[in-house]
Amino acid sequence: MHIPDGILPVPVTAAGYAATAAVTWYSVRKINQQENPRREIPKASLLTAAFFVVSWIHIPVPPTSVHLVLNGLLGAMLGYFAFPAILIGLFFQAVMFQHGGLTTLGVNAMIMGFPAIIAYYIFRLRELGNKQSVRKTAIFGFLAGAVAIVLSVVMFVVILINFLPADLDIATERAAIYTLAIAHLPIMAIEGVITSLVAVFLQRVRPELLESV
Amino acid sequence: MKWKFAASFLFLLVIALCLPGTALAHGAKIEYTVDVTIELLAAYDNGEPMAGAQFVVYAPDDPSTPWLTGVCDDEGRFSFIPDTTKPGIWDVQVRQAGHGDIVHIPVGEDAAVSGSTGGYTSLQIVLMALCVVWGSVGTALYFSRRKRRA
Repeated sequence: MHIPDGILPVPVTAAGYAATAAVTWYSVRKINQQENPRREIPKASLLTAAFFVVSWIHIPVPPTSVHLVLNGLLGAMLGYFAFPAILIGLFFQAVMFQHGGLTTLGVNAMIMGFPAIIAYYIFRLRELGNKQSVRKTAIFGFLAGAVAIVLSVVMFVVILINFLPADLDIATERAAIYTLAIAHLPIMAIEGVITSLVAVFLQRVRPELLESV
Repeated sequence: MKWKFAASFLFLLVIALCLPGTALAHGAKIEYTVDVTIELLAAYDNGEPMAGAQFVVYAPDDPSTPWLTGVCDDEGRFSFIPDTTKPGIWDVQVRQAGHGDIVHIPVGEDAAVSGSTGGYTSLQIVLMALCVVWGSVGTALYFSRRKRRA
């Protein structure tokens, strides 16, 4: 789901950077409004490392192969910390793994970071109602993880389909993009389960880690 | 009789004219042309070939108009013969489902026998990844320590 250099026209990558700058600014502002902005840093740091490494693990889904993203997990666990965390993770992935690119860093940050913020709000829906329960945490954890992937895939597809270069055989490329999008269905389920398991585990073992967001 | 003599004379003359052509030449000339075929192999970073990916070749004189387009075979291979009257950097882009890369191939005097994009070995990547992970763990430890003191 990382768009590399040379795929998108320059105005699109510039718009990606502009949007990323705006969301980063808003996220940092939200973080600063917290009582103790530093409190979440250890968790954010560790999850950035997880996000960075996990894209290296490929899961074959014939005829293609996909990798975990974990943006839903980051969103649910970190709230507004997720966006800068994903931005940093993407930067290191682009520089070291050649996953994505530096010109497309802004676009990729939006594709993966924006759904993370949505996942945060989905996960917070578990606080509705009067009774906190493990089942609610599990359900909204799953939804946060799964919806984040769906949103990322939709953004990825929409951006690519709308900016296909005329030199290509459009139909072939379009079919390839849809194939890749469908290959993310299992990832959607896996990420939902992972986010759900982590959330339930933390609620049982260290519930204070979930309360802060 | 006279026409028979004339015919055999003519026959001998023809042979005489033909033979020395091969027998008496001392100079030689050899011509050659080289067709440089550039063979490319496109694969994803997990080693899987980019089967069915589209490639676009751009000649150095016009980097915005495709010079050749096509599709990789099942092993991610394709080849093309560049126009050697256009020396310079030929750009080849391979792309599939929004993923891909561009390779710059010098043709002409600077032509190289082989080349590739990317270029970190697995060991380098693992080492760099470990550095980043350690940096993150260190950051986490630092800030969790500050928290406890406060």
